[in-house]
Amino acid sequence: MNNSLNFIAYLIYLPIVIVLTWYVAHTLFRNSRTFMLDIFHGRSDIALSTNKLFETGFYLLNLGFALVIMEVTSEIFDSRSMLEILSTKIGGFSIYLGIMLFFNLYLFFRGRRVSKERASLAEALKKIPGAAEVK
Amino acid sequence: MNTLTYILYLLITWFITVHVGFVFYRNGRLYILRLLKGDEKLTGFINKALLVGYYLLNLGYAALMIRSWKTIHTWTEMLVSITHMTGKIMLTLAVIHFINMAVIFLFSQKQTHSLHHKSYDHEQLT
Repeated sequence: MNNSLNFIAYLIYLPIVIVLTWYVAHTLFRNSRTFMLDIFHGRSDIALSTNKLFETGFYLLNLGFALVIMEVTSEIFDSRSMLEILSTKIGGFSIYLGIMLFFNLYLFFRGRRVSKERASLAEALKKIPGAAEVK
Repeated sequence: MNTLTYILYLLITWFITVHVGFVFYRNGRLYILRLLKGDEKLTGFINKALLVGYYLLNLGYAALMIRSWKTIHTWTEMLVSITHMTGKIMLTLAVIHFINMAVIFLFSQKQTHSLHHKSYDHEQLT
Protein backbone atom coordinates (compact mmCIF):
# COMPACT_ATOMS: atom_id res chain seq x y z
CA MET A 1 0.00 0.00 0.00
CA ASN A 2 2.67 2.41 1.04
CA ASN A 3 4.92 2.04 -1.96
CA SER A 4 2.16 2.69 -4.48
CA LEU A 5 2.31 5.89 -6.45
CA ASN A 6 -1.35 6.87 -6.06
CA PHE A 7 -0.65 9.73 -3.71
CA ILE A 8 1.96 11.25 -6.00
CA ALA A 9 -0.42 10.90 -8.93
CA TYR A 10 -3.09 12.85 -7.01
CA LEU A 11 -0.57 15.49 -6.06
CA ILE A 12 0.31 15.94 -9.73
CA TYR A 13 -3.29 15.79 -10.92
CA LEU A 14 -4.80 18.34 -8.55
CA PRO A 15 -2.65 21.41 -9.39
CA ILE A 16 -2.90 20.70 -13.11
CA VAL A 17 -6.70 20.56 -13.18
CA ILE A 18 -7.08 23.57 -10.89
CA VAL A 19 -4.74 25.70 -12.99
CA LEU A 20 -6.39 24.48 -16.19
CA THR A 21 -9.89 25.36 -14.95
CA TRP A 22 -8.73 28.71 -13.66
CA TYR A 23 -7.04 29.55 -16.96
CA VAL A 24 -10.04 28.60 -19.10
CA ALA A 25 -12.54 30.39 -16.86
CA HIS A 26 -10.33 33.46 -16.65
CA THR A 27 -9.95 33.70 -20.43
CA LEU A 28 -13.59 32.96 -21.17
CA PHE A 29 -15.09 35.37 -18.68
CA ARG A 30 -12.70 38.20 -19.30
CA ASN A 31 -13.79 38.21 -22.91
CA SER A 32 -17.45 37.50 -22.26
CA ARG A 33 -17.93 40.94 -20.74
CA THR A 34 -18.28 42.34 -24.25
CA PHE A 35 -21.04 39.86 -25.02
CA MET A 36 -22.83 40.58 -21.77
CA LEU A 37 -22.73 44.32 -22.40
CA ASP A 38 -24.22 43.67 -25.84
CA ILE A 39 -26.90 41.37 -24.44
CA PHE A 40 -27.99 43.85 -21.79
CA HIS A 41 -27.71 46.86 -24.10
CA GLY A 42 -24.82 48.45 -22.26
CA ARG A 43 -26.34 48.37 -18.75
CA SER A 44 -23.03 47.54 -17.18
CA ASP A 45 -24.14 46.74 -13.61
CA ILE A 46 -26.46 43.88 -14.52
CA ALA A 47 -24.13 42.69 -17.28
CA LEU A 48 -21.19 42.42 -14.89
CA SER A 49 -23.32 40.69 -12.25
CA THR A 50 -24.53 38.13 -14.75
CA ASN A 51 -20.98 37.57 -15.87
CA LYS A 52 -19.81 37.01 -12.31
CA LEU A 53 -22.68 34.60 -11.59
CA PHE A 54 -21.90 32.57 -14.69
CA GLU A 55 -18.22 32.55 -13.78
CA THR A 56 -18.89 31.20 -10.31
CA GLY A 57 -21.18 28.54 -11.73
CA PHE A 58 -18.54 27.55 -14.26
CA TYR A 59 -15.89 27.19 -11.56
CA LEU A 60 -18.16 25.16 -9.31
CA LEU A 61 -19.28 22.81 -12.05
CA ASN A 62 -15.88 22.12 -13.56
CA LEU A 63 -13.81 21.98 -10.39
CA GLY A 64 -16.44 19.77 -8.79
CA PHE A 65 -16.33 17.45 -11.77
CA ALA A 66 -12.52 17.40 -11.70
CA LEU A 67 -12.46 16.52 -7.99
CA VAL A 68 -15.10 13.81 -8.34
CA ILE A 69 -13.25 11.98 -11.12
CA MET A 70 -9.89 12.17 -9.37
CA GLU A 71 -9.93 8.80 -7.63
CA VAL A 72 -7.82 6.01 -9.16
CA THR A 73 -9.29 2.75 -7.93
CA SER A 74 -6.40 0.51 -8.90
CA GLU A 75 -2.98 0.57 -7.30
CA ILE A 76 -0.24 2.22 -9.30
CA PHE A 77 3.14 0.57 -8.97
CA ASP A 78 5.43 1.96 -11.66
CA SER A 79 5.92 5.36 -13.17
CA ARG A 80 4.86 4.24 -16.62
CA SER A 81 1.33 3.24 -15.59
CA MET A 82 1.09 6.39 -13.46
CA LEU A 83 1.91 8.50 -16.49
CA GLU A 84 -0.63 6.65 -18.61
CA ILE A 85 -3.43 6.93 -16.08
CA LEU A 86 -2.66 10.58 -15.45
CA SER A 87 -2.63 11.47 -19.11
CA THR A 88 -5.93 9.66 -19.66
CA LYS A 89 -7.54 11.56 -16.81
CA ILE A 90 -6.13 14.96 -17.67
CA GLY A 91 -6.82 14.49 -21.38
CA GLY A 92 -10.41 13.49 -20.71
CA PHE A 93 -10.88 16.43 -18.41
CA SER A 94 -9.46 18.88 -20.96
CA ILE A 95 -11.79 17.56 -23.64
CA TYR A 96 -14.72 18.01 -21.26
CA LEU A 97 -13.50 21.53 -20.47
CA GLY A 98 -13.22 22.34 -24.16
CA ILE A 99 -16.79 21.19 -24.77
CA MET A 100 -18.00 23.34 -21.86
CA LEU A 101 -16.08 26.31 -23.28
CA PHE A 102 -17.70 25.98 -26.68
CA PHE A 103 -21.11 25.47 -25.11
CA ASN A 104 -20.68 28.70 -23.17
CA LEU A 105 -19.54 30.52 -26.30
CA TYR A 106 -22.61 29.23 -28.12
CA LEU A 107 -24.82 30.55 -25.32
CA PHE A 108 -23.17 33.97 -25.52
CA PHE A 109 -23.53 34.21 -29.29
CA ARG A 110 -27.12 33.06 -29.12
CA GLY A 111 -27.96 35.56 -26.37
CA ARG A 112 -26.42 38.36 -28.36
CA ARG A 113 -28.35 37.41 -31.48
CA VAL A 114 -31.67 37.18 -29.60
CA SER A 115 -31.14 40.51 -27.89
CA LYS A 116 -30.20 42.19 -31.18
CA GLU A 117 -33.28 40.76 -32.86
CA ARG A 118 -35.47 42.03 -30.06
CA ALA A 119 -33.90 45.47 -30.22
CA SER A 120 -34.43 45.75 -33.97
CA LEU A 121 -38.00 44.52 -33.57
CA ALA A 122 -38.68 47.18 -30.97
CA GLU A 123 -37.15 49.82 -33.25
CA ALA A 124 -39.32 48.68 -36.14
CA LEU A 125 -42.43 48.64 -33.97
CA LYS A 126 -41.83 52.22 -32.92
CA LYS A 127 -41.89 53.40 -36.53
CA ILE A 128 -45.25 51.81 -37.36
CA PRO A 129 -48.18 53.81 -36.04
CA GLY A 130 -50.67 51.71 -34.11
CA ALA A 131 -48.21 48.83 -33.81
CA ALA A 132 -49.28 48.22 -30.27
CA GLU A 133 -52.50 46.65 -31.45
CA VAL A 134 -50.65 44.26 -33.73
CA LYS A 135 -48.72 42.59 -30.95
CA MET B 1 -7.32 10.09 11.33
CA ASN B 2 -11.03 10.50 10.68
CA THR B 3 -11.26 13.50 12.97
CA LEU B 4 -8.50 15.30 11.08
CA THR B 5 -10.26 14.50 7.81
CA TYR B 6 -13.54 15.90 9.09
CA ILE B 7 -11.87 19.07 10.27
CA LEU B 8 -10.12 19.62 6.94
CA TYR B 9 -13.28 18.78 5.00
CA LEU B 10 -15.47 21.08 7.04
CA LEU B 11 -12.94 23.91 6.70
CA ILE B 12 -12.79 23.57 2.91
CA THR B 13 -16.56 23.24 2.55
CA TRP B 14 -17.19 26.15 4.89
CA PHE B 15 -14.78 28.33 2.94
CA ILE B 16 -16.32 27.47 -0.44
CA THR B 17 -19.90 27.85 0.80
CA VAL B 18 -19.34 31.20 2.43
CA HIS B 19 -17.31 32.58 -0.45
CA VAL B 20 -19.77 31.47 -3.11
CA GLY B 21 -22.73 32.58 -1.03
CA PHE B 22 -21.24 36.02 -0.69
CA VAL B 23 -20.68 36.28 -4.44
CA PHE B 24 -24.30 35.31 -5.07
CA TYR B 25 -25.54 37.68 -2.40
CA ARG B 26 -23.74 40.65 -3.94
CA ASN B 27 -24.55 39.91 -7.56
CA GLY B 28 -28.05 38.50 -7.23
CA ARG B 29 -29.33 41.66 -5.57
CA LEU B 30 -29.78 43.52 -8.86
CA TYR B 31 -32.00 40.78 -10.26
CA ILE B 32 -34.33 40.73 -7.29
CA LEU B 33 -34.36 44.51 -7.30
CA ARG B 34 -35.51 44.51 -10.91
CA LEU B 35 -38.00 41.76 -10.18
CA LEU B 36 -39.58 43.80 -7.39
CA LYS B 37 -39.51 47.03 -9.42
CA GLY B 38 -36.99 48.79 -7.20
CA ASP B 39 -38.38 48.02 -3.74
CA GLU B 40 -35.10 48.35 -1.81
CA LYS B 41 -36.31 47.23 1.60
CA LEU B 42 -38.05 44.06 0.45
CA THR B 43 -35.11 43.23 -1.80
CA GLY B 44 -32.69 43.42 1.08
CA PHE B 45 -34.91 41.20 3.16
CA ILE B 46 -35.47 38.57 0.47
CA ASN B 47 -31.80 38.56 -0.43
CA LYS B 48 -30.80 37.99 3.16
CA ALA B 49 -33.38 35.25 3.59
CA LEU B 50 -32.10 33.53 0.45
CA LEU B 51 -28.52 33.76 1.74
CA VAL B 52 -29.39 32.26 5.11
CA GLY B 53 -31.42 29.50 3.49
CA TYR B 54 -28.53 28.73 1.20
CA TYR B 55 -26.07 28.53 4.09
CA LEU B 56 -28.36 26.28 6.07
CA LEU B 57 -28.94 23.97 3.13
CA ASN B 58 -25.30 23.59 2.22
CA LEU B 59 -23.71 23.38 5.63
CA GLY B 60 -26.41 20.97 6.71
CA TYR B 61 -25.79 18.85 3.66
CA ALA B 62 -22.04 18.96 4.25
CA ALA B 63 -22.50 17.91 7.86
CA LEU B 64 -24.87 15.09 6.91
CA MET B 65 -22.28 13.72 4.49
CA ILE B 66 -19.96 12.99 7.41
CA ARG B 67 -22.32 10.29 8.62
CA SER B 68 -21.59 8.03 5.68
CA TRP B 69 -17.82 8.37 5.82
CA LYS B 70 -15.59 5.30 5.61
CA THR B 71 -12.85 4.66 8.16
CA ILE B 72 -9.60 6.17 7.01
CA HIS B 73 -6.21 4.52 7.47
CA THR B 74 -3.77 6.28 5.15
CA TRP B 75 -3.08 9.74 3.83
CA THR B 76 -4.03 8.63 0.34
CA GLU B 77 -7.48 7.53 1.46
CA MET B 78 -7.88 10.82 3.29
CA LEU B 79 -7.00 12.87 0.23
CA VAL B 80 -9.31 10.81 -1.98
CA SER B 81 -12.29 11.03 0.35
CA ILE B 82 -11.87 14.75 0.94
CA THR B 83 -11.62 15.59 -2.76
CA HIS B 84 -14.48 13.28 -3.65
CA MET B 85 -16.82 14.76 -1.06
CA THR B 86 -15.81 18.33 -1.84
CA GLY B 87 -16.32 17.65 -5.53
CA LYS B 88 -19.79 16.30 -4.84
CA ILE B 89 -20.69 19.35 -2.79
CA MET B 90 -19.40 21.66 -5.52
CA LEU B 91 -21.42 19.86 -8.19
CA THR B 92 -24.55 20.12 -6.05
CA LEU B 93 -23.88 23.80 -5.52
CA ALA B 94 -23.47 24.32 -9.26
CA VAL B 95 -26.74 22.56 -10.03
CA ILE B 96 -28.63 24.54 -7.38
CA HIS B 97 -27.04 27.74 -8.66
CA PHE B 98 -28.07 27.16 -12.27
CA ILE B 99 -31.61 26.17 -11.25
CA ASN B 100 -31.79 29.34 -9.17
CA MET B 101 -30.65 31.51 -12.06
CA ALA B 102 -33.11 29.83 -14.42
CA VAL B 103 -35.98 30.42 -11.99
CA ILE B 104 -35.12 34.09 -11.54
CA PHE B 105 -34.74 34.49 -15.29
CA LEU B 106 -38.12 32.88 -15.97
CA PHE B 107 -39.79 35.02 -13.31
CA SER B 108 -38.37 38.23 -14.72
CA GLN B 109 -39.35 37.24 -18.24
CA LYS B 110 -42.91 36.49 -17.17
CA GLN B 111 -43.06 39.83 -15.44
CA THR B 112 -41.76 41.82 -18.39
CA HIS B 113 -44.28 40.11 -20.63
CA SER B 114 -47.17 40.99 -18.36
CA LEU B 115 -45.80 44.53 -18.10
CA HIS B 116 -45.78 44.83 -21.86
CA HIS B 117 -49.33 43.63 -22.09
CA LYS B 118 -50.39 46.13 -19.47
CA SER B 119 -48.72 48.98 -21.28
CA TYR B 120 -50.30 47.93 -24.52
CA ASP B 121 -53.72 47.83 -22.90
CA HIS B 122 -53.03 51.25 -21.55
CA GLU B 123 -52.10 52.57 -24.97
CA GLN B 124 -55.19 51.11 -26.48
CA LEU B 125 -57.38 52.73 -23.87
CA THR B 126 -55.95 56.19 -24.25
